[in-house]
Amino acid sequence: MLHAWAQDPDTIRFNESRYPPSLQAMRPRAELHPTYDHARLAVVDRESGALVGDVALHTMDPESRSGFIGLLIGPEHRGRGYGTDATRAICRFGFDMMNLNRVELDVIASNERALHVYAKAGFRVEGRRRACYYHAGAYEDFIMMGMLRGELTEEG
Amino acid sequence: MGLDSPFEGRLIRLRAREPEDAPLLHAWFNDASVTEHLSMRYPLSHEQEERFVSGASVTGYFAANFAVVTRDDGRLIGGAELRDVSPENRTAILGITIGDKACWDGGYGTDTMRTICRFGFEMMNLNRIELDVFAENARARRVYEKVGFREEGVRRQAVYKYGRYQDVVVMGLLAGELALD
Repeated sequence: MLHAWAQDPDTIRFNESRYPPSLQAMRPRAELHPTYDHARLAVVDRESGALVGDVALHTMDPESRSGFIGLLIGPEHRGRGYGTDATRAICRFGFDMMNLNRVELDVIASNERALHVYAKAGFRVEGRRRACYYHAGAYEDFIMMGMLRGELTEEG
Repeated sequence: MGLDSPFEGRLIRLRAREPEDAPLLHAWFNDASVTEHLSMRYPLSHEQEERFVSGASVTGYFAANFAVVTRDDGRLIGGAELRDVSPENRTAILGITIGDKACWDGGYGTDTMRTICRFGFEMMNLNRIELDVFAENARARRVYEKVGFREEGVRRQAVYKYGRYQDVVVMGLLAGELALD
């Protein structure tokens, strides 16, 4: 499923998966045990258990209690609130289970859907990395977003 | 010829790291006044420093990691690197240390910044150079601004050190923005 999603143009663009991955290369990713360094988790529908996405929370600096989030919702599952719900769930997991103080992420500036989802969950825009990412013949900016403990919003 | 050396600034020269550099690096990176504004936290052994220097002594596109020496007498005063280079995005992250305290004023930091950035743009064909700086490090931020870096964002409470969370400022410099004087 992750392999199929990696063929989707929006996934390639917004999740920076530049080269088409082989099935073989995807397998170890899917089988990784989540750890403090790389908490990579499947997003499944609560009722059906169907796989709808993939979310990861990476930490690099345990002293600073800070983590970095990456999120993918499968193209056929977008627009139904899974992204917002998965964002809140992984942030809550980071704060309440991993005892983080801060989570952050970068969003490609043209990805308005993601910017909206993250802002709704409580992320604040902290800056803009100019011309950070080259895709389809042009440079794009990254919007930097961050959320501190206590800023997660569970409503709306 | 008449070409400016791509390794040289007004005061400093970039050269490859050599095993003999290890003892000075060991002294600097165990000195809290040098590491105060760096992400390093733990005391470093001689073995760690020697391993670092021997690992960093082969230079190249993905290993643009240099010693900084004075132009007039070749004295080792610091280090500068462009790391996490992305050939598709033509981006890199810059790191710099002036370890020799006698060179903390007098333009060595500014000259090193200009030289490593010029190297990144003119020799490595980068389009963007980025760095992180602790918000409290006013002197470094002034130097980075002077050479053309723009403040692009503030990562709130991104680093914990010395008993408190500190903001980290992200600065970026695009090709054509480097201010050479």
